[in-house]
Amino acid sequence: MRKRQVRAVIKKDITAVTSSFQTWLPMLLLPVVFSLIMPCLLIVPAYKYDISERSILQVLEELPPGELRETIFSFGSTNKQMIYFSVHYLFAPFLLIIPLMAASVLGSGSFAREKERKTMESLLLAPISAPDLFRAKILAAFIPAVLLTFFSFLLYGTTVNLTAYRLFGGLIFPRPHWLILLFWVSPALSLGAVFLNVFISAKVKGFQEAYQLGAMTVLPLIALIAGQVTGVLLLSNTILWFLGAGLWLLDFFLIKRAGRYLDRSKLFTTLAS
Amino acid sequence: MDKPIISMEKVNKAFLPGVQVIDNLSFSVQKGEIIGILGPNGAGKTTTIRLLNGVLYPDTGRMSVAGFDPVSAGDEVRKRCGVLTESAGLYEHMTARDNLLFFAELYGVPEPVRQAERLLSEFGLAGAARKKVGTFSTGMKKRLGIAKALLHNPEILFLDEPTTGLDPEGSRALLNYIKELNRECGVTILLATHLLKQVQDFGHRFLFIEQGRLLESGSFVELETKYLREITLKVETGLAVSGDDFAGFPVVKKGPGYLWFRLESKNAVPLLLEKILAVAPVYSAVITGRDLETIYFIIREEKQ
Repeated sequence: MRKRQVRAVIKKDITAVTSSFQTWLPMLLLPVVFSLIMPCLLIVPAYKYDISERSILQVLEELPPGELRETIFSFGSTNKQMIYFSVHYLFAPFLLIIPLMAASVLGSGSFAREKERKTMESLLLAPISAPDLFRAKILAAFIPAVLLTFFSFLLYGTTVNLTAYRLFGGLIFPRPHWLILLFWVSPALSLGAVFLNVFISAKVKGFQEAYQLGAMTVLPLIALIAGQVTGVLLLSNTILWFLGAGLWLLDFFLIKRAGRYLDRSKLFTTLAS
Repeated sequence: MDKPIISMEKVNKAFLPGVQVIDNLSFSVQKGEIIGILGPNGAGKTTTIRLLNGVLYPDTGRMSVAGFDPVSAGDEVRKRCGVLTESAGLYEHMTARDNLLFFAELYGVPEPVRQAERLLSEFGLAGAARKKVGTFSTGMKKRLGIAKALLHNPEILFLDEPTTGLDPEGSRALLNYIKELNRECGVTILLATHLLKQVQDFGHRFLFIEQGRLLESGSFVELETKYLREITLKVETGLAVSGDDFAGFPVVKKGPGYLWFRLESKNAVPLLLEKILAVAPVYSAVITGRDLETIYFIIREEKQ
């Protein structure tokens, strides 16, 4: 890998995102809704009203014996139990959905936008190898997706702790599983989503096609994994570690295999056809 | 003769089965030559450039550029070649300077900032260096495109329709620069165009391509000798001719103050002029139809 070239492509692509209001604004909306608005809507009314929801309380009743059950039931009020459970478990999949959304927007544009702007040929005519170009494009979408996730996590944690502090009399965020999600599972899932979107982007002619195809095939598949995380979180952190490891292995396998489908001539042919 | 810097041997390329874009194409180029690749739109000129830069792979045949195979050692080829594509391939949301700096990184230019600033100044773009390329005129984009192609001081420069969208002044300035570059730095230049008049004066050799096949190649003098078997001389004279010939020279056209004579070769010009001057004044004489375009149409007619 020639680092100087890979770095140049990453820098160019990230600058293109940060300088385009239309690209970064929609990507910021979801984190703001998830990390700021939703916790506020959940926690603030709990100071005055009963927010307990029967179906969730039923889930709590059925929790297996252990540290989580003990912690939740150590809070006397159902409001606190509701908040603690929702904040730590029901909302957790969002930490996976945010990078997926970013990966989808950034990944699908990676090659497709170059084709639309007629700059793809310039890239292919430069002495950067096709695998390096592919790696650069993946990293250029992966890095912002991960940074956005970190930002969302910090915002979410701050919002939860600030709004719930008086109610609980102390900080309630995070629990250890958040860190496994943030540093292990979420990046692995993001990388997979970025890879699939970049791969599709390399194979189609324009951004619209890449985005739609990515949204139709990649997002539902990965959202399904994200949706199951609440269940996994309730089982144990060990399973979460394994889930992350499985995803990293899958990423490694996909990226390794992608090389044979992405030589320069094939990349160019999608441009010319 | 030295080993050619570029060679193509029996290269074939089809995008779809049965649709041959390059058909058994063979030619070679010596270091320091300026070669005009000529042909109508869709002849395969751009595909030839893409094949030589390893962006497309041939179905069959062999190629060599600067001693490397563009398929197996594409990056080595691309390090030594600069390409100006028809659309210039610049990032419109970036400034001229940032475009050059980005490509300088891709090409591994040792002092990117210095080189970018030197080229911006050389191409009269120093004042617009920090403006977004999207605001540039076609001429400015073309000049920046050439600057981009020259960032890494390439041995070989490929220019694909470099004057498209340029006004006559811009075209002339660009072609003059290319000529200078070849003369001063010995850069080998392959220029693909369908505008034959533009390359006639400075191309060392010409390749006529049609439907991916090489119809003919050679220097202007070689092609002229081979294909222009008759010439037409336009003479500005006071001579009045009543019949179809004068002193045995056929008159093919008459106009006020002008006569057009058909001659077997340019060797007959002095004799004709001598005969006219004996009876009438001659103000000017010019051989018409002695250009690449005429030769091109003769070749097309004969080869098809």
